[in-house]
Amino acid sequence: MKVDFVNPFVGSAFSVLQMVIGDSPKRGELAARTKLFKSQPVTIVIGVVGAVHGQVLYGMSQETARRLSGAMIGQEVPELDELAISALAELGNMITGNAASQLAQAGYIADLAPPAVIQGPEIIILTVEAALVVPVITGCGTIEINIALEEARQA
Amino acid sequence: MARVMIVDDAMFMRVTLKNILTKEGHEVVAEAQNGEEAVARYAETKPDVVTMDITMPKMDGISAVKAIIAEHPEARIVMCTAMGQKNMVMEAIQAGAKDFIVKPFQPERVIEGIAKVVGA
Repeated sequence: MKVDFVNPFVGSAFSVLQMVIGDSPKRGELAARTKLFKSQPVTIVIGVVGAVHGQVLYGMSQETARRLSGAMIGQEVPELDELAISALAELGNMITGNAASQLAQAGYIADLAPPAVIQGPEIIILTVEAALVVPVITGCGTIEINIALEEARQA
Repeated sequence: MARVMIVDDAMFMRVTLKNILTKEGHEVVAEAQNGEEAVARYAETKPDVVTMDITMPKMDGISAVKAIIAEHPEARIVMCTAMGQKNMVMEAIQAGAKDFIVKPFQPERVIEGIAKVVGA
Protein backbone atom coordinates (compact mmCIF):
# COMPACT_ATOMS: atom_id res chain seq x y z
CA MET A 1 0.00 0.00 0.00
CA LYS A 2 1.18 3.51 -0.78
CA VAL A 3 2.19 5.58 2.22
CA ASP A 4 0.80 8.54 0.20
CA PHE A 5 -2.66 7.28 1.09
CA VAL A 6 -2.04 7.88 4.81
CA ASN A 7 -1.59 11.65 5.02
CA PRO A 8 -5.01 12.62 3.62
CA PHE A 9 -6.63 10.58 6.42
CA VAL A 10 -4.51 12.11 9.17
CA GLY A 11 -5.08 15.65 7.84
CA SER A 12 -8.79 15.02 7.48
CA ALA A 13 -9.09 13.45 10.96
CA PHE A 14 -7.39 16.49 12.48
CA SER A 15 -9.62 19.04 10.77
CA VAL A 16 -12.86 17.08 11.26
CA LEU A 17 -12.16 16.41 14.96
CA GLN A 18 -11.22 20.04 15.53
CA MET A 19 -14.52 21.15 14.06
CA VAL A 20 -16.75 18.46 15.56
CA ILE A 21 -15.39 18.14 19.11
CA GLY A 22 -13.31 21.33 19.31
CA ASP A 23 -10.16 19.42 20.13
CA SER A 24 -6.62 19.62 18.71
CA PRO A 25 -5.54 15.96 18.30
CA LYS A 26 -2.00 14.63 18.26
CA ARG A 27 -0.60 12.03 15.90
CA GLY A 28 0.86 8.81 17.27
CA GLU A 29 3.41 6.58 15.59
CA LEU A 30 2.66 4.91 12.27
CA ALA A 31 2.58 1.11 12.42
CA ALA A 32 1.82 -1.70 9.98
CA ARG A 33 -0.68 -4.49 10.49
CA THR A 34 -1.29 -7.80 8.77
CA LYS A 35 -4.44 -8.37 6.70
CA LEU A 36 -5.92 -10.48 9.47
CA PHE A 37 -6.15 -8.79 12.85
CA LYS A 38 -8.16 -8.57 16.05
CA SER A 39 -10.36 -5.49 16.30
CA GLN A 40 -10.64 -2.90 19.04
CA PRO A 41 -13.88 -2.99 21.11
CA VAL A 42 -15.61 -0.43 18.83
CA THR A 43 -14.77 -0.23 15.13
CA ILE A 44 -16.27 1.99 12.43
CA VAL A 45 -15.82 0.36 9.01
CA ILE A 46 -16.07 2.25 5.73
CA GLY A 47 -15.65 0.69 2.30
CA VAL A 48 -13.90 2.64 -0.46
CA VAL A 49 -14.38 1.87 -4.17
CA GLY A 50 -12.86 3.51 -7.23
CA ALA A 51 -9.29 4.36 -8.23
CA VAL A 52 -8.34 3.25 -4.73
CA HIS A 53 -10.28 0.54 -3.00
CA GLY A 54 -10.39 -1.31 0.27
CA GLN A 55 -11.48 -0.40 3.78
CA VAL A 56 -10.78 2.27 6.34
CA LEU A 57 -11.41 1.23 9.95
CA TYR A 58 -11.55 3.51 12.97
CA GLY A 59 -10.93 1.51 16.15
CA MET A 60 -11.35 2.71 19.73
CA SER A 61 -12.21 1.64 23.27
CA GLN A 62 -15.79 1.70 24.60
CA GLU A 63 -14.92 4.67 26.77
CA THR A 64 -13.46 6.65 23.87
CA ALA A 65 -16.56 5.79 21.81
CA ARG A 66 -18.84 7.07 24.60
CA ARG A 67 -16.83 10.25 25.11
CA LEU A 68 -16.50 11.02 21.39
CA SER A 69 -20.19 10.47 20.64
CA GLY A 70 -21.09 12.44 23.79
CA ALA A 71 -18.98 15.38 22.60
CA MET A 72 -20.69 15.25 19.20
CA ILE A 73 -24.22 15.03 20.60
CA GLY A 74 -23.59 17.56 23.36
CA GLN A 75 -24.64 15.38 26.28
CA GLU A 76 -23.23 12.48 28.24
CA VAL A 77 -23.54 9.02 26.65
CA PRO A 78 -23.71 6.39 29.44
CA GLU A 79 -24.34 3.64 26.91
CA LEU A 80 -23.85 3.47 23.14
CA ASP A 81 -27.44 3.78 21.88
CA GLU A 82 -28.60 4.24 18.28
CA LEU A 83 -28.00 8.00 18.29
CA ALA A 84 -24.46 7.59 19.71
CA ILE A 85 -23.56 4.84 17.23
CA SER A 86 -24.94 6.91 14.41
CA ALA A 87 -22.76 9.84 15.56
CA LEU A 88 -19.67 7.58 15.42
CA ALA A 89 -20.69 6.31 11.98
CA GLU A 90 -21.04 9.89 10.80
CA LEU A 91 -17.64 10.79 12.25
CA GLY A 92 -16.07 7.97 10.20
CA ASN A 93 -18.01 9.10 7.16
CA MET A 94 -16.84 12.71 7.53
CA ILE A 95 -13.17 11.81 8.04
CA THR A 96 -13.18 9.35 5.12
CA GLY A 97 -15.21 11.69 2.89
CA ASN A 98 -12.84 14.61 3.45
CA ALA A 99 -9.83 12.33 2.89
CA ALA A 100 -11.46 11.10 -0.35
CA SER A 101 -11.68 14.71 -1.53
CA GLN A 102 -7.93 15.08 -0.99
CA LEU A 103 -7.25 11.78 -2.75
CA ALA A 104 -9.41 12.99 -5.67
CA GLN A 105 -7.22 16.09 -5.95
CA ALA A 106 -4.21 13.77 -6.22
CA GLY A 107 -5.97 11.96 -9.09
CA TYR A 108 -7.53 9.06 -7.19
CA ILE A 109 -11.30 9.41 -7.52
CA ALA A 110 -13.13 7.08 -5.17
CA ASP A 111 -16.58 6.74 -3.62
CA LEU A 112 -17.59 5.55 -0.15
CA ALA A 113 -20.04 2.95 1.07
CA PRO A 114 -22.31 3.79 4.03
CA PRO A 115 -20.52 3.07 7.33
CA ALA A 116 -20.98 0.08 9.61
CA VAL A 117 -20.17 0.11 13.34
CA ILE A 118 -19.00 -3.14 14.94
CA GLN A 119 -18.93 -3.69 18.70
CA GLY A 120 -17.33 -6.54 20.58
CA PRO A 121 -13.88 -7.43 21.87
CA GLU A 122 -11.28 -9.00 19.56
CA ILE A 123 -13.41 -9.57 16.51
CA ILE A 124 -11.22 -11.01 13.75
CA ILE A 125 -11.19 -8.79 10.70
CA LEU A 126 -9.72 -9.54 7.28
CA THR A 127 -9.07 -6.49 5.11
CA VAL A 128 -8.35 -6.35 1.38
CA GLU A 129 -4.81 -5.15 1.97
CA ALA A 130 -2.43 -5.05 4.95
CA ALA A 131 -3.27 -1.88 6.88
CA LEU A 132 -1.17 1.06 7.92
CA VAL A 133 -2.26 2.23 11.33
CA VAL A 134 -2.11 5.80 12.63
CA PRO A 135 -3.21 6.52 16.19
CA VAL A 136 -4.87 9.91 16.57
CA ILE A 137 -4.84 11.03 20.19
CA THR A 138 -7.76 13.25 21.22
CA GLY A 139 -9.06 14.59 24.51
CA CYS A 140 -11.71 11.84 24.35
CA GLY A 141 -9.13 9.07 23.92
CA THR A 142 -7.22 7.48 21.05
CA ILE A 143 -8.73 6.63 17.66
CA GLU A 144 -6.73 4.11 15.65
CA ILE A 145 -7.12 4.77 11.94
CA ASN A 146 -6.47 1.57 9.96
CA ILE A 147 -6.02 2.35 6.29
CA ALA A 148 -6.23 -0.78 4.13
CA LEU A 149 -6.37 0.60 0.59
CA GLU A 150 -4.84 -0.45 -2.67
CA GLU A 151 -4.62 1.22 -6.03
CA ALA A 152 -7.11 -0.31 -8.46
CA ARG A 153 -5.45 -2.01 -11.43
CA GLN A 154 -6.01 -0.24 -14.70
CA ALA A 155 -7.94 -2.22 -17.31
CA MET B 1 -39.79 30.37 7.21
CA ALA B 2 -39.37 27.26 5.13
CA ARG B 3 -40.87 23.77 5.21
CA VAL B 4 -37.85 21.47 5.02
CA MET B 5 -37.27 17.77 4.33
CA ILE B 6 -34.07 16.26 5.77
CA VAL B 7 -32.53 13.28 3.94
CA ASP B 8 -29.65 11.48 5.67
CA ASP B 9 -29.03 7.85 6.64
CA ALA B 10 -27.41 8.85 9.97
CA MET B 11 -29.88 9.49 12.79
CA PHE B 12 -27.27 11.77 14.39
CA MET B 13 -27.17 14.00 11.33
CA ARG B 14 -30.98 14.17 11.06
CA VAL B 15 -31.22 15.20 14.73
CA THR B 16 -28.41 17.79 14.35
CA LEU B 17 -29.92 19.32 11.20
CA LYS B 18 -33.40 19.36 12.73
CA ASN B 19 -32.08 21.23 15.80
CA ILE B 20 -30.31 23.81 13.65
CA LEU B 21 -33.33 24.36 11.41
CA THR B 22 -36.06 24.46 14.08
CA LYS B 23 -34.01 26.88 16.20
CA GLU B 24 -34.00 29.16 13.18
CA GLY B 25 -37.80 28.92 12.89
CA HIS B 26 -37.99 26.48 9.98
CA GLU B 27 -40.39 23.55 10.05
CA VAL B 28 -39.10 20.03 9.35
CA VAL B 29 -42.03 18.43 7.52
CA ALA B 30 -40.35 15.15 6.58
CA GLU B 31 -37.28 13.04 7.19
CA ALA B 32 -35.94 10.26 4.98
CA GLN B 33 -33.14 7.76 5.49
CA ASN B 34 -32.32 6.97 1.88
CA GLY B 35 -32.98 8.18 -1.66
CA GLU B 36 -36.01 5.98 -2.23
CA GLU B 37 -37.76 7.29 0.86
CA ALA B 38 -36.81 10.83 -0.13
CA VAL B 39 -38.51 10.53 -3.53
CA ALA B 40 -41.71 9.18 -1.94
CA ARG B 41 -41.77 11.67 0.95
CA TYR B 42 -41.12 14.60 -1.42
CA ALA B 43 -44.23 13.81 -3.45
CA GLU B 44 -46.32 13.52 -0.26
CA THR B 45 -45.11 16.65 1.53
CA LYS B 46 -43.87 19.00 -1.25
CA PRO B 47 -41.32 20.76 1.01
CA ASP B 48 -39.89 24.20 0.14
CA VAL B 49 -36.33 22.91 0.54
CA VAL B 50 -34.58 19.54 0.84
CA THR B 51 -31.22 18.82 2.52
CA MET B 52 -29.72 15.78 0.78
CA ASP B 53 -26.89 13.48 1.84
CA ILE B 54 -25.07 11.56 -0.93
CA THR B 55 -23.70 8.33 0.57
CA MET B 56 -26.82 6.38 1.58
CA PRO B 57 -28.09 2.81 1.24
CA LYS B 58 -30.75 1.74 -1.33
CA MET B 59 -30.56 4.90 -3.46
CA ASP B 60 -27.78 7.52 -3.17
CA GLY B 61 -28.45 11.25 -2.94
CA ILE B 62 -27.47 12.12 -6.51
CA SER B 63 -29.88 9.54 -7.97
CA ALA B 64 -32.56 10.90 -5.62
CA VAL B 65 -31.96 14.47 -6.84
CA LYS B 66 -32.38 13.28 -10.44
CA ALA B 67 -35.59 11.39 -9.60
CA ILE B 68 -37.11 14.31 -7.66
CA ILE B 69 -36.19 16.94 -10.29
CA ALA B 70 -37.58 14.73 -13.07
CA GLU B 71 -41.04 14.89 -11.49
CA HIS B 72 -40.78 18.24 -9.72
CA PRO B 73 -38.48 20.53 -11.74
CA GLU B 74 -39.15 23.35 -9.23
CA ALA B 75 -37.61 21.35 -6.34
CA ARG B 76 -34.97 23.19 -4.32
CA ILE B 77 -32.34 20.78 -3.03
CA VAL B 78 -29.23 21.56 -0.99
CA MET B 79 -26.61 18.79 -0.87
CA CYS B 80 -25.25 18.16 2.61
CA THR B 81 -22.49 15.56 2.45
CA ALA B 82 -18.97 14.58 3.50
CA MET B 83 -18.11 13.87 -0.16
CA GLY B 84 -16.81 17.32 -1.15
CA GLN B 85 -14.75 16.32 -4.17
CA LYS B 86 -15.16 18.33 -7.36
CA ASN B 87 -16.65 15.48 -9.41
CA MET B 88 -19.39 14.99 -6.79
CA VAL B 89 -20.19 18.72 -6.64
CA MET B 90 -20.39 18.87 -10.45
CA GLU B 91 -22.59 15.81 -10.66
CA ALA B 92 -24.97 17.10 -7.99
CA ILE B 93 -25.29 20.56 -9.56
CA GLN B 94 -25.81 19.03 -13.01
CA ALA B 95 -28.52 16.82 -11.52
CA GLY B 96 -30.27 19.99 -10.33
CA ALA B 97 -29.07 20.66 -6.76
CA LYS B 98 -28.94 24.36 -5.86
CA ASP B 99 -26.17 24.39 -3.24
CA PHE B 100 -23.53 22.06 -1.83
CA ILE B 101 -22.54 22.00 1.85
CA VAL B 102 -19.60 19.85 2.97
CA LYS B 103 -19.74 18.09 6.36
CA PRO B 104 -18.67 18.84 8.99
CA PHE B 105 -20.36 22.24 8.75
CA GLN B 106 -21.00 25.20 11.01
CA PRO B 107 -24.73 25.76 11.72
CA GLU B 108 -24.53 29.20 10.05
CA ARG B 109 -23.50 27.60 6.77
CA VAL B 110 -26.68 25.50 6.74
CA ILE B 111 -28.92 28.45 7.67
CA GLU B 112 -27.31 30.56 4.95
CA GLY B 113 -27.67 27.78 2.36
CA ILE B 114 -31.38 27.34 3.13
CA ALA B 115 -32.03 31.11 3.12
CA LYS B 116 -30.29 31.47 -0.22
CA VAL B 117 -32.32 28.82 -2.06
CA VAL B 118 -35.62 29.86 -0.44
CA GLY B 119 -35.04 33.47 -1.43
CA ALA B 120 -34.11 32.54 -4.99
